[in-house]
Amino acid sequence: MKIKVTQTKLSKALNNVSRIAIGKVTLPILNNVLIRVDNKKVSLTTTNLDMAIVDFLPVSDSEDGVVTVPAKLLAEFVSNLPRGEIIEISSTDTKVTITAGKYSSTINGTLADDFPELPEINETSAVVYKINTDDFKASVGQVAIASSNDLTRPALTGVYFNTVDHTLAIAATDGYRLAEKKIINNVESEVKAIVPSSSLQEVLRSINDDAEEVEITFNEDLVRFRLGEIEIISKLIDASFPDYQKLIPKDCNIHLTLDREELARITKLAALFARSVGGAIVCEATEPDVFLVKSIANEFGENDSIINTTVDKSGKINLNSKFLLDALNALDEKNLRFDFSDRVAPIVIRNEKSTNYTHIVMPLNS
Amino acid sequence: MYDVWKNALAEIEQQISAANFSTWFQDTSLLSTDDGHIVIGVKNSFFVKQLHNRYLDTIKSALEHNNIGVSDVTFEVSSNTKVTPRPREITHTTPSIKPYIRKAKTSLDPYHSTGLNQKYTLDNFIVGSNNDLAVSAARNIISSPGDRYNPFFLYGGPGLGKTHLVQAIGNEILKTRPDFKIFYTPISHFYSDFIDAIQSGKGKEFNLKFRKLDCLIVDDFQFIVNKEKSQEEFFNIFNDLYQLNKQIIVTSDRLPSQIKTVDERLASRLTWAGAFDLQLPKFEDKCAILRAKAELSDIDIEPEAIEYIAENVNTNIRDLEGEFSTILLMSEVRGVTPLELIKNGAVNINKQSRLRPASAKQIVDKVAKYFNLSPKDIRSRSRVSNIKNARQVAMFLLSKELNLSTTKIATEVGLQNHTTVMHGIRKIDSDLKKDFSLRDQIEEIKENIYG
Repeated sequence: MKIKVTQTKLSKALNNVSRIAIGKVTLPILNNVLIRVDNKKVSLTTTNLDMAIVDFLPVSDSEDGVVTVPAKLLAEFVSNLPRGEIIEISSTDTKVTITAGKYSSTINGTLADDFPELPEINETSAVVYKINTDDFKASVGQVAIASSNDLTRPALTGVYFNTVDHTLAIAATDGYRLAEKKIINNVESEVKAIVPSSSLQEVLRSINDDAEEVEITFNEDLVRFRLGEIEIISKLIDASFPDYQKLIPKDCNIHLTLDREELARITKLAALFARSVGGAIVCEATEPDVFLVKSIANEFGENDSIINTTVDKSGKINLNSKFLLDALNALDEKNLRFDFSDRVAPIVIRNEKSTNYTHIVMPLNS
Repeated sequence: MYDVWKNALAEIEQQISAANFSTWFQDTSLLSTDDGHIVIGVKNSFFVKQLHNRYLDTIKSALEHNNIGVSDVTFEVSSNTKVTPRPREITHTTPSIKPYIRKAKTSLDPYHSTGLNQKYTLDNFIVGSNNDLAVSAARNIISSPGDRYNPFFLYGGPGLGKTHLVQAIGNEILKTRPDFKIFYTPISHFYSDFIDAIQSGKGKEFNLKFRKLDCLIVDDFQFIVNKEKSQEEFFNIFNDLYQLNKQIIVTSDRLPSQIKTVDERLASRLTWAGAFDLQLPKFEDKCAILRAKAELSDIDIEPEAIEYIAENVNTNIRDLEGEFSTILLMSEVRGVTPLELIKNGAVNINKQSRLRPASAKQIVDKVAKYFNLSPKDIRSRSRVSNIKNARQVAMFLLSKELNLSTTKIATEVGLQNHTTVMHGIRKIDSDLKKDFSLRDQIEEIKENIYG
């Protein structure tokens, strides 16, 4: 095996794939990157058996062959070489030689036979969606904050891709709050699948300026994200996601329009006094025009802040300030709609104008 | 079975390195060993290829050493994580959705689409005493369509599962015979399609499309209209398919002879192979339905709450399921368990059947009238066969409709001995399974009683 490539390209690809090739101590070969050259096509592959990253590397010269090398070591070696250097990697059996100008080193690799073969997507039965990279990145960020990391409830540790009425939406919940974003309209194929949040984090990290579009392909138990030269294959979570549409209140009694930054500011102020009570704050709407956020911490004092806005009906609700701030940060318009009914039903927060993002938060018991 | 796999694992562990063993065999399980078809559950699809390519022989020999015959081994993704009980939160009792993908049909060609909705399967159709006969006929059709129960005529009130059952038949047939041409249509669509076809001069294609089918499912047949031309078209298609031993399935809310707009020839043909009915579920059936529904969507609900709902909804299964979801959702929102909700009086369900309860006298009178006898004849000691038969029908209805005790029934029909009543009811019960005209008679009498 032999490849010839610039330091910049190789370093970028190795940094990208080596992220998941660490930590699995049980099977040492999983710390390696598989370098395969097959008829001029060069690929770097790593896997942690939950997901795999494949980076197709454009090279100037190559010879067929395959070998695995410790990923972290190779990545760090290459990233410390001077920029712009031309690097040549070649292997005989398991000895891998890396030369770049006056730098040269030999790494003991492993035969590629032990490297697990990746599962394949059955292209004929697969369902494919395409979405603009920036939209995808923003949407996943908005939704994934609500996902849980409680491994005893696997369904909630992922982001749920589901189609309703020809719209592809993504949703996540940790049981206390829920975020949903409609990302593609007019889709024909249907999907209901839970993608692990950890895999999506890797997808977001792998996004670079080269790829304008993310191609998402679902199979029965796999998903593949294609971003330019990079492919990320991940397992799907084999669990049932809550029928979350039913959790979003259809109608609320109290409707408020609030300035997002102002609300975030007074929530942060209130949160300072709410630390000893687990971040609990009280939001209170009073007719005709006062929205009050307050918190009480017995040993420090208390905080009251007011926003003036039109109030159609008075009401009061206790919320976790962290959850409220997360929701506010996920929105992007100047104003937001803040709707609730009473002390027990969840609040619904949306942008004032666009309605494709919905965030609901359960109230705290009062 | 579980222990066998543990033994096999213990053997495999000694043959391969510890690293490989703990990586590849941890969290595996033996799902099935039927007839040597071994199914092994793995954590996710990344494990399938490696186990298959590398360890297939190891697994085979380990199983064989444990006296398990192996003809082939397949791997299936199966997460065996157990759900632990948790405190209440927003997603707790919400029905959840199993993941699936479905590729869009490349062309929406009506000549190839089946009209079937895949959510209807036989697995999620709950079998009870109210529908077991129809279901066993359905199973027969699935294994050999066009054979014994052809045409299959299914009738029953709204919301009892007619559509579900016939669509399930279609879906199940497609599982084993993917090339089978099946078409599901409500009768009203059949008409509008027919009229469209005629107007656009495509009458021939329309006809041809139906004649090519292997199985035709017609729903809501009671809406058949008295338009000679279109009814004749249906009759012809029906005949053609029947001649070719193609399966025909028809549902309706009543018997064809009771639908006024149906041509007599057609009506008699529809029930050639008998008519099967779906009845109102009994209390136990209703509980079973709710329990199954709770289980399917992974919900915890108190048995008392299920019984309360089952007891108070007496209309049909659709209402039953509707009330069930409403209560679950309310318990969600209010943050209390369904039973607490019911005890607080926060729910008000009392769906009585629309049927007026009949008196014992009414039943005897109507039975007598139906058989052209006087109520006195029935209460007499006469053993003339037609009177005796009518008396048995009356006893049967008294028992089924009013749940009277056999002694009480004996007094109502002028008998001394309640064992005679038991015998009579049992006889009708068993005759019903064979004699379809008797079923129709009883249905008609019921209609007279309640109508």
